[in-house]
Amino acid sequence: CTDDFEEDLIDPRSPVEVPATGLFSNAQRNLVDQMTTPSVNSGIFRLLAQQWASTDYPRESQYDIVTRNIPQNFWNELYTDVLMDLREARTIVTADETFPDPAEKANQIAMIEIMEVYTWSVLVNTFGDIPYNEALNPENVQPTYDDAAEIYADLFTRLDAALNSLNESAGSGDFAAADLIYGGDIESWIMFGNSLKLRMGMTLADVDETTARRVVAEAADNVFTSLADNADFQYTETTPNVNPIWTNLVQSGRNDFVPANTLVDVMNELDDPRRSEYFTLFSNGEYVGGTYGTGNPYSNFSHVNPAITAPDFEAVLLSYDEVEFYLAEAAARGFDVSGTAGEHYTNAIRASMEYWGVPEAEINAYLSQPEVAWTGGGNWRQQIGVQKWIALYNRGFEAWTEYRRLDYPQLEAPAVAEFDVVPVRYPYPAAERTLNTANVPAGDEATNRIFWDVQ
Amino acid sequence: QSRAVSGTVTDAATGQPLPGVSVLVPGTSVGTATGVDGTYTVNVPEGSNTLVFRFIGYQNVQRTIDNASTIDVSLPLDNQQLSEVVVTALGIERTRNELPYAASTIDGDAVSQTRQQNFTNQLSGKVSGVQIQQNNNLGGSTNIIIRGNKSISGNNQALFVVDGVPLDNSTNNTSDQATGRGGYDYGNAAADINPDDIESMTVLKGAAATALYGSRAANGVVMITTKKGSKKKGIGVTVNTGASWGFIDKSTYTRYQKNYGEGYEGATYNRNPSALPGFWDIDIDGDGDTEPVVPTTQDASAGAAFNPNLLVYHWDAFDPTSPNYMQARPWVAAENDPTTFFEDAYGTSHSIMIDGTGDKGYFKLGYGRNSNDGILPNSNVTKDYLNFAASYDVIKNVAASASINYAETNGLGRFGTGYSGLNPNQTFRQWWPVNVDIQDLKDAYFRTGENVTWNRISPTNAAPAYSDNPYWTRYQNYNNDNRRRLFGNARIDYNPTDWLSIMGRVSLDTYDEIREERIAVGSQGVSEYARQNGRFSEVNYDLMANLNRDLNEDFNFKATVGTNIRETNVSRVRLQTNGGLVIPGLYALTNSVSPIQTFGLGATEPATEVDTRLRVNGYFASVTLGYKQLAFLDLASRVDQSSSLPPENNTYFYPSVSGSFVFSELFEPTYGFTYGKIRANYAEVGNMAQPLSVYTTYNLITPFGGTSLASVNSVRNNPNLEPERTKSWELGLEMTFLDARAGFDVTYYNANSVDQILRAPVSRASGIDYTWINAGEVVNKGFEVSAFGTPVRTEDFSWTINANWTRNRNRVKDLGPIDNYQIASFQGGVTLNASEGEPFGAIKGPGFVYNNGQRVVGEDGLYLSNNDANTTIGDINPDWIGGVTNTLKYKGISLGFLIDVKQGGDLFSLDQSYGLYTGVPESTSFINDLGNPVRNPVTDDETSGGIILPGVNEDGTPNDIRAAVPLALGTDGNPAEAFIYDASYVKLREVTLGYSLPESIVSKLKVFQGIDVSLYGRNLWIIHKNTPYSDPEEGLAAGTLSLGYQSGAYPTTRNVGFNIRARF
Repeated sequence: CTDDFEEDLIDPRSPVEVPATGLFSNAQRNLVDQMTTPSVNSGIFRLLAQQWASTDYPRESQYDIVTRNIPQNFWNELYTDVLMDLREARTIVTADETFPDPAEKANQIAMIEIMEVYTWSVLVNTFGDIPYNEALNPENVQPTYDDAAEIYADLFTRLDAALNSLNESAGSGDFAAADLIYGGDIESWIMFGNSLKLRMGMTLADVDETTARRVVAEAADNVFTSLADNADFQYTETTPNVNPIWTNLVQSGRNDFVPANTLVDVMNELDDPRRSEYFTLFSNGEYVGGTYGTGNPYSNFSHVNPAITAPDFEAVLLSYDEVEFYLAEAAARGFDVSGTAGEHYTNAIRASMEYWGVPEAEINAYLSQPEVAWTGGGNWRQQIGVQKWIALYNRGFEAWTEYRRLDYPQLEAPAVAEFDVVPVRYPYPAAERTLNTANVPAGDEATNRIFWDVQ
Repeated sequence: QSRAVSGTVTDAATGQPLPGVSVLVPGTSVGTATGVDGTYTVNVPEGSNTLVFRFIGYQNVQRTIDNASTIDVSLPLDNQQLSEVVVTALGIERTRNELPYAASTIDGDAVSQTRQQNFTNQLSGKVSGVQIQQNNNLGGSTNIIIRGNKSISGNNQALFVVDGVPLDNSTNNTSDQATGRGGYDYGNAAADINPDDIESMTVLKGAAATALYGSRAANGVVMITTKKGSKKKGIGVTVNTGASWGFIDKSTYTRYQKNYGEGYEGATYNRNPSALPGFWDIDIDGDGDTEPVVPTTQDASAGAAFNPNLLVYHWDAFDPTSPNYMQARPWVAAENDPTTFFEDAYGTSHSIMIDGTGDKGYFKLGYGRNSNDGILPNSNVTKDYLNFAASYDVIKNVAASASINYAETNGLGRFGTGYSGLNPNQTFRQWWPVNVDIQDLKDAYFRTGENVTWNRISPTNAAPAYSDNPYWTRYQNYNNDNRRRLFGNARIDYNPTDWLSIMGRVSLDTYDEIREERIAVGSQGVSEYARQNGRFSEVNYDLMANLNRDLNEDFNFKATVGTNIRETNVSRVRLQTNGGLVIPGLYALTNSVSPIQTFGLGATEPATEVDTRLRVNGYFASVTLGYKQLAFLDLASRVDQSSSLPPENNTYFYPSVSGSFVFSELFEPTYGFTYGKIRANYAEVGNMAQPLSVYTTYNLITPFGGTSLASVNSVRNNPNLEPERTKSWELGLEMTFLDARAGFDVTYYNANSVDQILRAPVSRASGIDYTWINAGEVVNKGFEVSAFGTPVRTEDFSWTINANWTRNRNRVKDLGPIDNYQIASFQGGVTLNASEGEPFGAIKGPGFVYNNGQRVVGEDGLYLSNNDANTTIGDINPDWIGGVTNTLKYKGISLGFLIDVKQGGDLFSLDQSYGLYTGVPESTSFINDLGNPVRNPVTDDETSGGIILPGVNEDGTPNDIRAAVPLALGTDGNPAEAFIYDASYVKLREVTLGYSLPESIVSKLKVFQGIDVSLYGRNLWIIHKNTPYSDPEEGLAAGTLSLGYQSGAYPTTRNVGFNIRARF
């Protein structure tokens, strides 16, 4: 009797169908994990931005990106555990005929699209040209690579379509519970989408001013207006749903990182009140950073502030202070945004300090310093660059990206390093060379600039 | 009317007359025996025209009489190799003479004589075509590959069959264990067979030999025949008892340098410029001045040079219970290095077997117990075996028989493997300060019962930075496991006529196992309790009819038809605590800080919840046509229907054809040429998919708070899978000479595995990690030679040589849509691959840059890396393997020794990669070409340290730039290719000294029928190897994922032991 042989083909312990919500939530969580983790196996962005230094094992701060397959781990997570789940969620929602209100369905699809655009922009900003049009199709296991600038252009189109279809008068259905960032609040998603559009527009400012100008002008009126609008992700105190900073710095029992002298020294010079929130005091009553790019005994330096290493510390995908920095830069470049560059610059620093709980008086004192106060003129790149870098502490990826774009602060490679400059991209994963040999572009160096990084 | 025939019978070899030879007239009751002078006279009745001469130990000779009145005969010695009965697939017995394919047999006595924890190790070096790789783990698994790796994604291990019943040989180790990321090797399940119950082992190598077993035998078969009761009538009792001791072979372990202590090369620890370089600068005694402190977080030996006059504070100066508390001690190398961590292994084995044989049947009842303590503290694996088998002739022509075997394995403190804190060798070989004394650590642990480690975070913080006290690891972070297994069968044999037999059999193999693993509170990292429960069961139903008829005087016809129905169920759950343990010392899943999660720590290993069922219906038939003893033709085929394939593709047929021709039958046997046979065969074997690779499902992930999570499966299954196929042919030649005192058997084979069912890794940009496809072709071809000779044979003394040699060539011909299949990825930047046009098992990773064959160095004098992870830097496949056994016998004493050789094959050593970087082994501290210690700073003058690496600059001129050591030697200064080593070896594998008490003494002892004593040694001497500080054979575990890689390698254990066997 073999009629029931087909029964053995069914895995009794795994679902054949799942709701889109689980895929959407999982993608959000995995994206945030990847953007937040300080793991030396994928997220060395705090090192690249020289916010942290290594203790006993400085290889990654000396730009050994290859040995631990760092690019591969980052790439794999974003493609297979973020984008693929979003793509599947969209397929399931699209095919679902049971929505009571078509606008609700459209909202869900738009939310998925915005998450996808965010993720794609991160991938382009990390690698440059990547598989895009042919990607995420298991039937095509050797997808071709697309031009990074063309991907950006398409992302704007998709982002606009998503923003146009977001409808505040309709809800988000079961995504209200699944959305771990905004709880399905459409108004927030409109602001998030526009803030993302602002970020992506400004990213192009040096290479394609026309597009940047248009995009920024379109988005500027609907971006975040306060810290309450931040795209925050609230971790929990219960493993495994904890902040990966805690996992790596506390749970592991390892002391692999200390704040870097590069950042600590600059903040010391500016007497920055955020130091007490970012770091711990060293026993000598000062803030002391480890020498970037060398080994540093853990006990000889300030440490990362325990608030940041709490298991439920929130992660941020896009913040109000970041938006204000973009607006400041847009104004300084003469783009069509309301308000002056100086106002936005001040708002940005103020927002950052408020986020970290700095008292009003200290904020004012900081802003009044001549080294900090907005000077205007041709100095904007440096002023915004340095202040944004400080404000983007603990957001290594954005700090590294803005450093690459603005070229300030002027970070230098350590004496012992794989390259004599700070790497400006991740090389392609080793697996792409073996599994997608025909398509992976040649000349794949960590020192090749992404297309928007013109100098 | 009868006539008288007379003559003399002599030994063909010596020409001496043979007394006592039976001389018979076939078909009559007439016969006689030769006298003391070898002569005979017999009266042959009318109608008879032949005489048969029979004598034990000699071949039978038949002569036609015709008109002769005198017939002198010289009897050749019986060539046991040829007339012996070989058990072939499905338990069908055939004489070696008519066997049309290669098969090798090992006598079971050899197994109990030189005991091994894992009897499968005994095959090493003894059988051509079989590659054995044993690990130095206590109770660990052994890799058994016959005629090369054939399957790219699948299992390549040989199938074990006991008395016709397949026996599961899974390891069920985690994939992290298999790829060197930590975990325990729980051994291969075939080791559950009682070695004292083995009558013989036969290795069937090619597809033609194994086709009747169906697809599962595609990798060859090790057939085990268990003892069936003694041939004498009455009750017999056999007792075995033995013990063994093991000692580490120091040539397979790190030799430590004794010149430089804890610290990393060039590290600066202080901002105080006047501090002593290489030490922490801390005020320990509170006098306001600072003192030098050993930098205890620095898990390396690349720090300050030793100086016995310098007093510094070591790790134990901060342990209040230590006699050195707050004492500065000299800065010198430790007296006791990590080799003193290893203990002497000790094992015992005892068994008793009672058997009885009567007119209508036999029975046997056996019990055995093997207990082994390993070379690590707190380790033991004990196995208990209970066997019962009986057969009874129920009625005329009907026999009922059954066998049942119970085996229980209990493991405690198995060895941690790979790159894990649970493997002490990870620290000892890779991250070790040579100033730390193992005995001090031992005292510290036993004094306190705490994790007092050398690797404390700071003088004021005793927590481990990276490494625990190894005694804490062994006594607190231990595992235990238990497996209870039942296997056996019940069968009815019905022989209605002398040419037809029908067999029906039900067999069962089932086991339950539990594995518990612990990381205690107080260890580095997160405490954990992990538990795996598994159940395996397989039931086989066989019905088979065998027909054996002489069609006429010349032709013999044999046929087999049968069916096999198989059902295999596997169920396994693995769970671990989440976020640590609440109550220290309580190992329970409920003692979890957070609710149990579905992903393990580090999220590399998902919780396992496996439930699979596989059913196969097989139908088979074979016919054999024999012409005299001259020629044999076999035709066989099998149809399988498998429940792991899509319904429209799940039935597949495969045929085989084989023939043999005994050309020596055409000649009269002479002293110089006694036997010759050629054989040839062609066979196809189909193979099914692994369970659950057809329909794709989603993954569920631990919910985020109240929000449920799901993910697209990273493996895309395939509803269109088809069976894969291996097509193979082989040619063989067997000959014996010199009155069968010498002979050889040579085989050439070619096996082509096509349409492989491949779990192909793909570009992750496609949204998935793997997809199941039918693609790929792997070819294995090679020669197998076995030869024997008896240079000396007298009444009292003999010397026999058995040798075998195997050369397999393996090539991946095609991989379908992909160019490279990554079999496994290892730490250290290397991968194991099947790549189109290369052998299966290419090691890839960043390589050197070459200029005209010379390694190129950069401006810093260090070798450049081509930074291309796709460079083939090694190949795991040996050029050839072989073994030579010499056996010397004098009266009751026999001395045997086996030399086992593997030539070629590479491995990557993470131990060397990191160990050279951290300056641990002796090879990192030597005198350089200038006569200075190589670790002196690199300067411009003649006091300079450092080495000039052999190679050229980028412009092609010879390198003249000095590079600092150990930087220039280890992972930081080199591409992965630098740590590829040739894994060849020549080993004195086995020495056996056996003594059987002479009959004269035994008979006086009355109760005994025989007493045999054996002394043996295993792995006594690695005569040649090229891997520094390690055993080239050592690996992580059995299985395709674990080949060609060493990390935290265990040293070889030299074993010596004895076994006494007494028969009553």
